[in-house]
Amino acid sequence: MQISRRAFLKCCALASASLGLGPKELVDLESALADPQAPSVLWLQGSGCSGCTISFLNYISPSEPVDAADVLIRSANLIYHPTLSAGAGESVVADIKKAENFILCVEGGVPTALAGHACVPWSEGGREVSFQEAVQVLSAKAKQVLCVGTCAAFGGISAMGANPMGVKSVPEATGRNAVNVSGCPPHPNWIVETLAQLLQGKTLSLDGRGRPVSIYGGRRTCDQCPFHGRGEARTYGVSGQCMEALGCQGEVVSSPCPTTQWNNRVSWCMAAGSPCLGCIDPTFPGATSLLRRRGGPGGRGRGRGRD
Amino acid sequence: MPTVVTIDPVTRLEGHLRVDVTVDLVDGKPQVVEARVSGTSFRGFETMLVGRDPSEAPHLTQRICGVCSVPHGVAAAMALENAAQVSIPENARILRNLVMGANFIQSHILHFYHLSLLDYVGGPGMPPWEPQWNVDRRFGSEASARLVEHYKAALKAVRQANEMAAVFAGRQPHSPAFIPGGFTNVPTADQIAEFRKYCGIITDFVRSVYVPDVDLVASQYPDYDELGRGYGNLLVFGGFALDTAGKGLLFAAGRVGAGTDEIQPVNLEALAEQVACSWYDNGSSACHPSAGATQAVYPKDGAYSWIKAPRYEGQPCETGPLARMTIGGHYRQGISVHDRHRARAAETLKLAEILPMWLAQVEPDGAVYTPYTVPTDAEAAGLTEAPRGALGHWLRIRQGKIAHYQVVTPTCWNGSPRDDQQKPGPMEKALVGTPVADARQPVEVLRVIHSFDPCLACAVHVCRPARPGRVVIF
Repeated sequence: MQISRRAFLKCCALASASLGLGPKELVDLESALADPQAPSVLWLQGSGCSGCTISFLNYISPSEPVDAADVLIRSANLIYHPTLSAGAGESVVADIKKAENFILCVEGGVPTALAGHACVPWSEGGREVSFQEAVQVLSAKAKQVLCVGTCAAFGGISAMGANPMGVKSVPEATGRNAVNVSGCPPHPNWIVETLAQLLQGKTLSLDGRGRPVSIYGGRRTCDQCPFHGRGEARTYGVSGQCMEALGCQGEVVSSPCPTTQWNNRVSWCMAAGSPCLGCIDPTFPGATSLLRRRGGPGGRGRGRGRD
Repeated sequence: MPTVVTIDPVTRLEGHLRVDVTVDLVDGKPQVVEARVSGTSFRGFETMLVGRDPSEAPHLTQRICGVCSVPHGVAAAMALENAAQVSIPENARILRNLVMGANFIQSHILHFYHLSLLDYVGGPGMPPWEPQWNVDRRFGSEASARLVEHYKAALKAVRQANEMAAVFAGRQPHSPAFIPGGFTNVPTADQIAEFRKYCGIITDFVRSVYVPDVDLVASQYPDYDELGRGYGNLLVFGGFALDTAGKGLLFAAGRVGAGTDEIQPVNLEALAEQVACSWYDNGSSACHPSAGATQAVYPKDGAYSWIKAPRYEGQPCETGPLARMTIGGHYRQGISVHDRHRARAAETLKLAEILPMWLAQVEPDGAVYTPYTVPTDAEAAGLTEAPRGALGHWLRIRQGKIAHYQVVTPTCWNGSPRDDQQKPGPMEKALVGTPVADARQPVEVLRVIHSFDPCLACAVHVCRPARPGRVVIF
């Protein structure tokens, strides 16, 4: 098991290196391998769509562990994951309750209306436990809280518009700082890399929104975009042009998508002729529009988002 | 002496589900005599769309479900296209089908191996596969080890199917490529070649691993060819348009009533959703849509689920791959736990084999988008099929904004609670008669539940289905 964890962290070291971490971080990762007390992981899902989990399962790397199966089977001690756990009912709840020394991964927002009854992830001894209560209790016990996705980090889609169930982000609902890996969904490598750092007990350098600077602190997406300055698309269905006029959010977010790309690098949003939706941003999905939110509601009179 | 057994959480599905079964002796053997299936989460998604730009609905509604995001994008785009009366280019239709086909394939493989298989085979002896209910295991160690290897191989196949979809769609899940008017991505010869490469890999997995494994599990658990039948009412909205007019469909719309083989047309006027046992205001429970808003009410006497109870002509209906394959004439073996798995696998193979043919119809560098104007006032629906069954989006536009939006998902049908007449939902009905050997580890109940592939992320924000144009939301 420890050898497997070593393989896992080694890979993550390589992934981190590709994201700009230096030799010192690699040494730290190596030394962390020797620690048999590395924390386990609890993964909870609240008000969301399970898309962050599916994205996590899309993880792929040129070195070991090569994919999600490798991560799950040979690495972190994932005590509970609602989509993957074999057990059900009281037995898994008992394991969640007795967990100590764990990283709490939260996917989805936290509904607070109806005394939390809008999301009940399990029962304990006949009593329904709200997601709000579960996250509050477990985040207080956790070594670290990792918000996986924009809903957990900032509310995101789950808190948009009228937000009838009073969905809050995990930091809002718990009053505890978290490490935020935003994105709707986040890129799998962002999730795995950040989790690896937390498993080592590393203190991550975070931006003002709790996001790892190594991932979210780069240049504006626009400045990395191969289509920037290559003619301006005025309508959809045009490839290889700048999509600012369609409401592209690349000017206001700093995402490594243009370099990391998606799904084993087969493509990414702008390569598919779509403007950046800005899904990593705390303003996502905007008050009334995804693509007209630059500079506040209505944008700056640009980016009508359609013909 | 009847005993109530509660499973909460039911794991290995999307979203939050609780099941309460009453177990009693029937002919001296303990079995389920009554079941209650509860969706334990509510999102209010449709309300949150009000006031927004209709053209962005495909982006937003894909976030209803991270597993089957693509059909939501398709249904939302179709709704606005119907409202704006715009036809999409042939290339866009084909690209949508290709991406949605890949999405179905990843969902079905994920479902069998990662959400269902561990009801029959012990997983790797470590978390998150420990603890597990280690009961009624009928495979020897060699076969078990092989199936666990296939569990891992299937993770790879799921990832590759997502990559296949992303070749055209930009990324998975939550592709930005689905827009009213067509598709954002202009297909290139390189993309077509890349997609074709994935087709070969995926088809090989489905044909040589997935389909045989489904048969292998069925052969060791023949009792589940008899269990989990339910009502026998099947419903399909139809999906995968074979022409831009939407006349031809790979999966035909239709309905089969219990005890008959006759396939009847689907009349959308015959849909209604009831809320006697759901946490919504009873005043909104009706066969006829009203203009009033539906309100969440909690607590409420007699209610136990956030899912409403959609009914077709007052009847609960099963929707999903078995319904599609049966109504399409591709599968006629019966209705049971294994029939659902076999039909799902057969559908996966059918899609895997047809994708290369559709791919050959893609015109490289051809048009993918038709410009359109969002109508000021309009009402329309977008109906399609999702991996788990019939999916409908109903849209009303006022002053160029979304005034009402409504989504009716497959799990609303399958996972519905009792209705106003206290008639159980399809999963609840299917559970009755299921033997339970050990009330502390009722794995038999999980087998029936999982055969439906419930997706609560989809089901729990849904409001009342109405006929197109008469939309009621909460």
